[in-house]
Amino acid sequence: MIPSKIKLLFIQVEIDPNGTIIAVLSGEFSREAFQKDATIFTVAPFLEGTLDALTINEPFLLEGMLLTFGNKEFNVDVELLRTEKNITVLFHNRTSVYKYIDELNQKRNDLFFVKRKIAENNKELEKLRVLADKANEEKSRFLAMMSHEIRNPLNGILGNAELLASENLSEKAKIHSEHIIHSGKSLKVIVDDILDLSRIEAGKLNLVEEEVVLQNIVNNCISNLEIANNNAKVTIENNFNLKSDKKIVGDGVRISQVLSNLLTNALKFTKEGYVKLSTDLAEQIDKKNTITFVVEDSGRGMTKDQTQQIFEEYKQNNLDDNRILRGAGLGLAIVKRLVTAMDGSIAVESKLGVGTKFTVQFSFKNVLEAKQHFTEETTIENSSILKEKNILIADDDTMNQFIVKNFLNKEQANITIVNDGLEALEKLKKEVYDLVLLDINMPNLKGDELLKKNENFHFKNKQIPFLALTANTQEKEVKNYIESGFTAIISKPFSKEIFLKKISLALYKN
Amino acid sequence: MIAKKVLLVGNFGVGKTSLIRRFVKNEFSEDYISTIGVRVSKKIVECNNQEVKLLIWDVAGTDGNEKIPKAYFLGAHAAMYVFDLSREETYLTLDENLAMVKNLSGLQDFLVIGNKKDLLTDEEIEAVKTKATAKIDLITSAKENANVEEAFLELTQQSLK
Repeated sequence: MIPSKIKLLFIQVEIDPNGTIIAVLSGEFSREAFQKDATIFTVAPFLEGTLDALTINEPFLLEGMLLTFGNKEFNVDVELLRTEKNITVLFHNRTSVYKYIDELNQKRNDLFFVKRKIAENNKELEKLRVLADKANEEKSRFLAMMSHEIRNPLNGILGNAELLASENLSEKAKIHSEHIIHSGKSLKVIVDDILDLSRIEAGKLNLVEEEVVLQNIVNNCISNLEIANNNAKVTIENNFNLKSDKKIVGDGVRISQVLSNLLTNALKFTKEGYVKLSTDLAEQIDKKNTITFVVEDSGRGMTKDQTQQIFEEYKQNNLDDNRILRGAGLGLAIVKRLVTAMDGSIAVESKLGVGTKFTVQFSFKNVLEAKQHFTEETTIENSSILKEKNILIADDDTMNQFIVKNFLNKEQANITIVNDGLEALEKLKKEVYDLVLLDINMPNLKGDELLKKNENFHFKNKQIPFLALTANTQEKEVKNYIESGFTAIISKPFSKEIFLKKISLALYKN
Repeated sequence: MIAKKVLLVGNFGVGKTSLIRRFVKNEFSEDYISTIGVRVSKKIVECNNQEVKLLIWDVAGTDGNEKIPKAYFLGAHAAMYVFDLSREETYLTLDENLAMVKNLSGLQDFLVIGNKKDLLTDEEIEAVKTKATAKIDLITSAKENANVEEAFLELTQQSLK
C-alpha cells in the first residue's frame, strides 16, 4: 500500500484525562471526527470510564471497539498510553477485518441455532415415533387378541359344519353345510391375513430357513387352486421349468403364501380364460439362485392408476369387490410385504379387459446336501394309525371337546376327555396314553405348565407326543410351545383333515 | 453526574443486545444479529435519589470456551451475566463460567439474569432454577419487557456499591 493510503487507516490523537482532544498527532482516519477541543467520548464512548482506570506509562489495548461518527460505524483496535499529563490514543481502522469476523461469527451462531432446531425437531420426531410404535403395538396386540377370540368360535363353526357334512344329509342340507364351511374358511383367511399384516408391520415376522422342494410348493398351490376353481371356463396352467427335485433354502410357508395369494387373486378376477403359474430359473450366481415366478391371468385387468394402488391395504378396485369377491383386500398388501421381507421383488403389468401379470423374483441359497426330513407335508395315507390308540384330550371349551371327540371317534380311537390341566395331570399320573392333546389356556393349570410337571407323569407317558390345541398362533408363541416340549401345534380353527394329519404324523414319528 | 461502566456478558444468542435495546430504546426485534466486538450504549437512570450515567458495554457473546478480553473490564463498576433459560448449555455450567469471568474482571459480584422467560412455562422456569448451578438473581424477557428495567436498576445499585 502506498504511504499516502496508509494514513487513511489510522489516527493518533492526544487527549486530556477528561477526554478533550488536545491535538491530532498523525493519520487521516475519520479526521473530521477528531476536532481540537471536542470531547472524544462522542465518537469513542467506550473511553468514558476507561480512561480513569489506565495505569500511567503502561500501554493498553482495546480490540474490536465500535466507533460511531455521524451515521457511520467503524470497528477499531485502540492503543492507549497514559502519561503523567495526557493520554495518547491510536485508533486502527479494522472495519474490513472485523467485517469478515462478523460474518464468520454470524454464520457460526446461525449454524448453531439451525443445528439446535434440528435437534429439537428430532426429539419431537422421536417422541412421535415412540407414540406411533406404541399405538402400532397396541393395534397388533388388539388384533392378536381378537384373532384368538375369533378362532375359538370359528373352530366350532367349521368343525360342526364338517361333522354335519359327513352325515347323511339331503341335497339341500349338504349345500347349506358346504356354504357354512366355505364361509368359515373365508373368515379364517381374513383373520389370518389381518394377523399376518400386523405381524409384518410390527417387524415381528420371523422368516425361517429350511430346505424346500420348490416343485412341492408350486404343485400344492396349484392343486389348492384347482379345488377352489368352480368355474369350468377357467383353466389352470402350471409351467414348472426347474428340475423336479430342485431344493432351495427359504421359508416354504411364506413362499407358498405369496404364490397362493397371487393365484387366488388371479382366479378371483378371471371369469373366462386361464390362470397360469410359470416358474423359471432367472440367474445362478455362486451358491445362489434367482427364481422367477410369473402369475398371469386373462381376467378383467387394471388401469395404470389401479396397478399403482394394488399393493396398498384394504384395496380392491371396485367398491363392491369386498362383498362380491370376499376378502378384506389384504392379500396383495401381504404379498408385497412378504416379498420385501424376503429381499425379493414384485412387479405388475396389466391391461384393462385383457389380463394381469405379476412377476416375483427371489434369490435363494442352494441346498448342498439333500437331507431327508419329516415335514408336515409328509403324507400319511392311512389314518388307521389312530385306531384303538389311547388319546387324552384336555380342553375347557365344550364345543372343542365335542368336535375333537367326533373327529377321533370316526377313527375308532379310545379317547378320554378332561376339563382342565389339573384333571389331565391326575390322568397322566395313573393312566397310560399314546398321545395327548392339550388346550393352552385352561383353568387351574395351563397346557404348557402341565408339561413342566412331567416328572409326575407315569413313566410311559414321558415318551409320548403332546400336541397343543391353540388359537394362539403368533410365531413367538408357537416357538415357545415347541421349546416347552410340545411335539406339534394344531392351530384353531382346524379342519378335520389337518387335525387327523397332524395327530397321525406325531404318532408315526413316535 | 457520575458515570458508571457496566458490562453484559454471556454466551452468544442469550439476548444481551436485546436487553440493552429494550432498556435504552424500548425496542425489540426477533432478528438475531451477532454482536461484533463491543458496542457501548448510554442511559441516564435515577438511583438512590441521584442521576447516574450508565455506560453499558454490550460484549460479543462467546461460545462458552472463548475468553472475554480482560481489557474490557478495565474501569468496570458492575457486570451482568446473562444466560438463556431455554438453552441448557448456557446454565448447566453457570458456576464455572461465573468463576471465570469474576477472575478475569476482578469484580466480586455479577448480576445473574435468566433471559427469554417468554419461551418457558412457570414449571419449566422452576426446573431451570433447580438445574442451574448458581443462584439466579432475576428472570427476564426482553421480548415481553419483563423485569428488564428491574435488572438494570439492580445493576446500577451494584455499580454504586
